[in-house]
Order: sequence, then C-alpha cells, then structure tokens
Amino acid sequence: MRAVERGLSFNPSVVRQAAAPIIDLPDADGVEVVLTASETALTRYALSEIIQNTVRSDVRAYVRVVTGDRYAIAATNQLDAASMKATAARALGAARASRPDPDFPGLPSPEKVGRADGVFRWDEETATATPEQRAAAVRTILGTAASSNAAGVFETSSHCFGVVNSRGIDCWDRFTRCVTTCLVDEDGGTGWGEASSHAISAVDVEGAARRAADKARSARNPVSAKAGDYEVVLEPSASAMLMEYLAYMGFGGKQVLDGESFLSSRAGEVVATPDISIADDVYDPLSVGIGFDLEGVPKRAVTVIDKGHAVAPVTDLRTASKLNLAPSGHFSGSVEFGPYASNVVLRSGTRSREELIAGVKEGLLVTRFHYVNLLDRPATLLTGMTRDGTFRIRDGEVAEPVNNFRFSQSVLDALSATVGVGSDSRAFAPDFGSFGSNVAPSLRIDGFHFASTTTH
Amino acid sequence: MKDLLRAALDAATDAGATYADVRGAEIETESLSVRGPQVEGLDRSTSTGFGVRVLVDGAWGFASSARLDPAEGVRMAQLAAQVARASATAISKPVELVPEPVHVDSWSSPVSKDPFAVPVEDKVALFTSATAEMSKVKDIRVARATLDLLRQQTWFLSSEGSDIDQTFVQTGAGIEAMAVSGDEVQIRSYPGSFRGHYAGAGYELVEEMDLTGHAQQTAEEAAALLRAKTCPATETTLVLDGHQMMLQVHESVGHPTELDRVLGMEAAFAGTSFVDIPDLGNLTYGSELVNIVSDATVPGGLGSYGYDDEGVEGQRVDLIRDGILVGFQSSRETAAATGAERSNGTMRAEGWENFPLIRMTNVNLLPGEGSLEDLLADVDDGIYMATNKSWSIDDKRKNFQFGCEIAWQIKKGRLTKMLKDPRYTGITPVFWASCDGVAGPEEWRVRGTPNCGKGQPGQTMRVGHGTSPARFRGVSTGVSQ
Repeated sequence: MRAVERGLSFNPSVVRQAAAPIIDLPDADGVEVVLTASETALTRYALSEIIQNTVRSDVRAYVRVVTGDRYAIAATNQLDAASMKATAARALGAARASRPDPDFPGLPSPEKVGRADGVFRWDEETATATPEQRAAAVRTILGTAASSNAAGVFETSSHCFGVVNSRGIDCWDRFTRCVTTCLVDEDGGTGWGEASSHAISAVDVEGAARRAADKARSARNPVSAKAGDYEVVLEPSASAMLMEYLAYMGFGGKQVLDGESFLSSRAGEVVATPDISIADDVYDPLSVGIGFDLEGVPKRAVTVIDKGHAVAPVTDLRTASKLNLAPSGHFSGSVEFGPYASNVVLRSGTRSREELIAGVKEGLLVTRFHYVNLLDRPATLLTGMTRDGTFRIRDGEVAEPVNNFRFSQSVLDALSATVGVGSDSRAFAPDFGSFGSNVAPSLRIDGFHFASTTTH
Repeated sequence: MKDLLRAALDAATDAGATYADVRGAEIETESLSVRGPQVEGLDRSTSTGFGVRVLVDGAWGFASSARLDPAEGVRMAQLAAQVARASATAISKPVELVPEPVHVDSWSSPVSKDPFAVPVEDKVALFTSATAEMSKVKDIRVARATLDLLRQQTWFLSSEGSDIDQTFVQTGAGIEAMAVSGDEVQIRSYPGSFRGHYAGAGYELVEEMDLTGHAQQTAEEAAALLRAKTCPATETTLVLDGHQMMLQVHESVGHPTELDRVLGMEAAFAGTSFVDIPDLGNLTYGSELVNIVSDATVPGGLGSYGYDDEGVEGQRVDLIRDGILVGFQSSRETAAATGAERSNGTMRAEGWENFPLIRMTNVNLLPGEGSLEDLLADVDDGIYMATNKSWSIDDKRKNFQFGCEIAWQIKKGRLTKMLKDPRYTGITPVFWASCDGVAGPEEWRVRGTPNCGKGQPGQTMRVGHGTSPARFRGVSTGVSQ
C-alpha cells in the first residue's frame, strides 16, 4: 500500500494568515494570537511486542483580546476565518465581563522587548519519519535487549510555535524530537535505558536497549537494605528528575513573589556547593525548545544558581516589573501559573560516571526515580521512589542489587552535599508533556535520605 | 461530523481493517481563576476532531486529526492502517477482542443548570466575594477561587455496527487560601484541593457549595496551620476524611486493578501492579469492611457514562468484595486474560486525539455504617487527617506516602490540637487490612479528580471516587524525614 502523506505544514505565513481576520478586531485595544501545531507519532511496546501505535496531529490558536486593562483568552483548533472570528468574539465578550487588572503590563511590542529569533532545533528526517521506521527501531531494540519482557517507546514528533500581536510582535520557531525508552525485566530484576535528541539519527536505540538489558540482568535477586542516609551516585535520569522538580518548585518569578520559592528568602546566599550551576538555557546544544515565550518575548538564558549561589528567577513581563528585573522571556501562557523554566540545564562537571562511583566507599547507585512529588516548596523537599536499577556501591565498585527505596530529600540540601559532578550530561524530555527539556549529568552526593523500602 | 466519520470507517474497512472504530468529539471548556479582587485567568476553549482506530493483520493502528472534511477522514483511516501494518511486524500473536453487543444509543449527563449559560459577570461576582472573605484573614498571602467547565459531545461508530452519541457536562469549583510566614507556606482549600470538587453536573453544583460561606473558616485554618505543631512521627490509629480517601482509593486500589497494568502493558511508564491474575478470588486485599466497585453507572461522577470509548456499555462491577480481590478493570483486548467473556467497559481516551486506555470510571469504596463522629469515638489516641495535599507510590502500587493539608490529634474520641504537614505511609494490602471502620451512607459522596495521568502519549483523565471517612489501625505517620 502507498504511504500516506504526512508531516506538519506550518510556517510564518500560516500564523499571519490565521491572525489576519482578527488582528484589527473592532472594539478591542489589542489582539494576540499564539499558534501551536504538533504531530506526535509514538510506537509503544510491552511484553516485547508492539501494543499501541499512534499518530496524532493538532493545531491550537490562543487568542488574547485586550480592552482597556481587561483581557481574556479563547482558543480554537479550527483556523478558518469564521472560527477565528468567533473565537476572538468569545474572548472579547469574556474580557468585557472580567475585572480590570492594574498589574497587566499590556501586550509586548518589538520596540520594547526586541525581536525574537528562533532556535530551530529542527531535523527533517525526524519530522518525516514513517511508521515503518519506528517499527524497525522497536525491532532493533527488541533484538538488542534479547528479553521476553521489554517495554518502552520509540517516538518522533514535530512542534511549531508562532506569536503575532497587534503591536508588531511576529515570531515563529519549531523543533523536532525523537525519544526512545527501554525497560527490561529479567526475573523481577529491572533495568532502564533511554535516549533523546532533536534528531532521530542521534538517538542510539541499541545503546539504550543494551544498558537496560545489562542492568536488568545485574538487578536480579535484589537484597533488602535498611532505610537511612546513604552516599549516592545518581545517574543522569535521576539527576534530571530532581532538576525538573526544583525548577517547578521555585525557579519562577511568581513563586518568588508569593513566597513559595527558595529564592524568596535565599537569593544571594550559598544554596549548593561551588560545583553546582543551574540555568534555564534553551540555547544549550542539548536543549530542545523555542527562542521566545508565549507572548513573543525573546528568551534569555538565565542562571538561577551560579557556582552554588542562588541568583534570580526566570520572569515574564508581569513578574519582571514587580521584581525590578529585565523580562527573561519565560511566560508560560498562564498568569495563574506565572513564568516557567522549561529548559533546565545542570552544568556538567569533569568526572566520568565511573570516577564518581570509584570515590564511594559505601553507598548506592540510583538509575532513576519514579512518581516524585512535592512535600515542601520553600524547603525544596521531595519524595519519590527509586526504580529499574538500584545497586550497592562497595569500595568504589557497583555491587549487589537492592530493593527500591522511598526517598525524602531536600534538593538544595542534596546539592549542598554534592561532592562530584559528572561529565556525562544527557537530555531528557519532560516527565509529562512535550514542551522543553531537562539536561543533567550524574551526581555524587554525600548524604541522601531514604525514608523506607519496598519489597522489589 | 457523522459524514466524516462514516467516510473514515468505510475507508478503514477498504484498507484491510478487520475491526475499526472512529470517534469524533466537540469539546468546549471555560476556566475562571480569581485571585483576591482580580481575575487572574479567564479562558474559553473549543476543540474538535476525530480519531480512527483499526486492527489490521492482528495489530493496532491509530491516527487522529483536527481537519474536518471527509477526505481527511479517508486519509486518517489509510494512515491508521499503515501504522497497524508496521505494528504487525513486531507482535507475538494477533489481538483478539471479546464480543460486545451492537449498541445504537445516546446518553447525556444529568444537568439542572447549564453552566455555560450563566453570565460570566455573575461567576466573577460570586468568586470574588469568596476571595474577599479569605483575604480579610491575617497571614493570607493568596486567596484564590477557581471554576472549570466542560461540555463534550462524542460520536462513536464501529465496523460492527455500533452508533453511539454521548454528551458530557462536568463542573468543578473551589477556593484556596495560602498563608505565608517567613519560609513557611500553608494551604487550606474547600471543598477539596487542586481546584476543588468536580462532578458530572451543571452550575447547581457551584451554588450548593456555598463557597463564600466557607471562605472565612478555610482561611483561618490556613493561618492557624502556621502556628500548629508538626504531625508527629509515630505509629497510631488514623482516621481519613472522604477527600483523602478518594486519593487513597485512587492510587492503591484503582490503579493496581487496571488489567493493562496487571498484564505488564504499562510497565515502562506508569508501572505494573503487585496484583497478578491468579490473585483473582484469592488475594486478601483488605479487611472484611473493604468493598470496592468500579461503577460507570452511578449518577454524577466524572467517570459516569453510557458507553466507554470502544463502545462497551458502562457497568458496575465488584473489584474487592469483603476484602477479597474479585475483579479487574478491563477492555475488549484484555478481558479474556481473566477468563471473562465480556469487557467491563473501562476504555477511555482524553479528547478525540488519543488511543483509548483502561482508565478508572468511578472506583468507589462502598459505605459502611455510622458517622465520622462514630469513627472518632472509638479512638483513644490517634490522628484525623483531611484533604489531600501530596501523593507518591511505587511502580507496583505497594509502598505509598500520602500527605494532607491538615490534621488534628484525636484524644478519647474527640478532635483536639491541630497538626500541620501531616503525612502517612504504608504498604497497600497491609494498610487496607488495618481498616476497621468505614462511615455510612450519610457521609458518602462521589468526588472527582480531573487530572489522572497515564499512557504515552500522556493522557489526562477525569475519574470519580465515591468515598466516606474511614479508620485504620497501626499506621506510620509523620514520615517526612
């Protein structure tokens, strides 16, 4: 059968054409159109066979209409002129019914915020990957894993973003992403491997499958170990998860203003060892994202923790004004949520994973975390479980597998106890959703609290 | 839409599908967020599209699109078939579906007052009156009130002849007060956390809540938590309110009894289950007081419907009876693994763009007897926790740690001192075995959680839980460090 035509059809003229019927809306003082489009193709396997296989595509136009100091947003996924006009009318009606917002900074203009350039982490081969290519990748994974119980995904996706407004903002960007994950279960011992890049050719599916299979075979017959404080080496997946949640808990300007962020009271203080620097940086070579925020303000790289010192949050127009900072281009699209750091990068160090492990006399190696959740935002306290490869480290070498632990740990306390930063930085797609990325290396931490254990 | 769906269904059959279903949806949402005197967010959205699911060569393929013309329906059907053929190169056995009668029917949520017809001005006035009351209380940094409305019309056609239209109307609302002192933040909400209480209902739900009437107490409790003692680390008798019981049932019974998890199909992302097929009818999941059903037929739940998203009639089935595991939530593909001849109808998809998965409907802990006061009366020394705040559970749904917004000490059957940062931990079957009291029908209510995540690509599902307060003995509390 002939292959079906696919691929996102999206460029600046699509954004402008969708916005044209409403950008000069009568009775409105300003109009903004944020257009997003995505196509996500994901082949999912479990029990060493393909179980689900989907291709989904959608487009969304978010129309913000301003009247005086009131505004509201309406959205549609139909871009014809009639639908766009109806959407703008809904937004205008809602704006009129809303309350004045004295803190509304107004829609941005290029004269005020500059013109945004795209990052364009776009790979045509990824954007046009076929179902047959994805299935072939899964067959390669299954062949490499050589297990009757492997599970994971092979995903290719493409995402486009454009912003135009009645004050002259006109920008667009796009990125692709390829993600593969592999979990292997060998007699109850589980191992994990994953790889991610904006380019399909850079995703090493065999490597991910081999790591998962090797770990699973080493993880059979785990022994129980007591809960308590351990020196640990966190592999990049585990480190990246802590970074994602640290950013969620406290990197946004609104959280600082509300007193929820550690930056509210600790800006300028030492919050980590000098080896720790963390930024939101979409321009890092491993990041995947766009070069402006969801009102078209150019995105800057922001160092939130610099050589252990807490510096400043990411901001949008609204919070930057209140914090007397320059806007960094991190509007999330929601005033309620505020600005968001979607491209967190924990800067890498100089030591290999093996060197980090070699320095540990008695401790644990953690492959990844599962079901992490917040306990205390200002204290950066999290809980969660280890999974898919937790091992003793003894005299600098990886030893026997152990049952999984529940951790209960302040991230900043962990970063203050960090005694080694790896050189093995890797990129990860966010835990849930498709926007942004997290980049982190392995960490050696002298003191990580595990509150309880489980039986596998 | 129906013409498009029929064109897609015909094209799927022409492309070699041995089974196909197509599902279209029109979705309308309205979201209002008020902070203090200001409207922080007022969003109205629509989304329309369709998805085509096919079985070709014994394997699944799925494609979805927002372009609404019959030619696009044909294109998506052909793409779904191409995807299925690629899937078929890596399967061990062809997918087989258990039978389901053909249904030609329609279903709608019961609604007294169309929430979309209520003027926005009236909504803003109500919600700002609630935030104004909360803002009067000292130490309240943020007073927020939220409203979320959904109307979704779906059309389902299958190659077996089913033709089902359904309309869902769901409403959610709540208030939240955040108190701040130095580095400490405490939150209290009403009638539930994470944007309040949700149900398959209209605006009458909001009016019944009396948000303004509860605002002062909500804020005062948030402020009082700043001065309360921390929940102690101890082993004690624990009484949970109905809201926390919703989360407890959701995480430690709802997810572990999803048959796709049990069979290993969700292993890489959400995880598996400590429960296995041979446990059916044998595993002691809890005490004899623990009776839990999956019930899509209960009125007003977020998981209430006439038919699931593969056209199976909504049902009520026992999951745990007298403490014994007796059922799983299943689909047409998975039901046969337990020897069942029919799916119990729990396949659901977010929106029009996603492949359906086994999802909770309304997973309900059936009421016992007596009031909350009766439960407390039989506690000499314990802790009462209310309103979920945090949750985490391992990949087999066994080791959990949950946190609540607020707690009180129980001394000689009565609530005494307020406690902050209450958390408790347990192992699922051990915890449920320690249950020695479930409050009765007068305390029982179907609550809703609109944000249950599962699947890849990730899907967020709206599910319901009927619960009343319950009591557990010998539970570890205060486990943050």
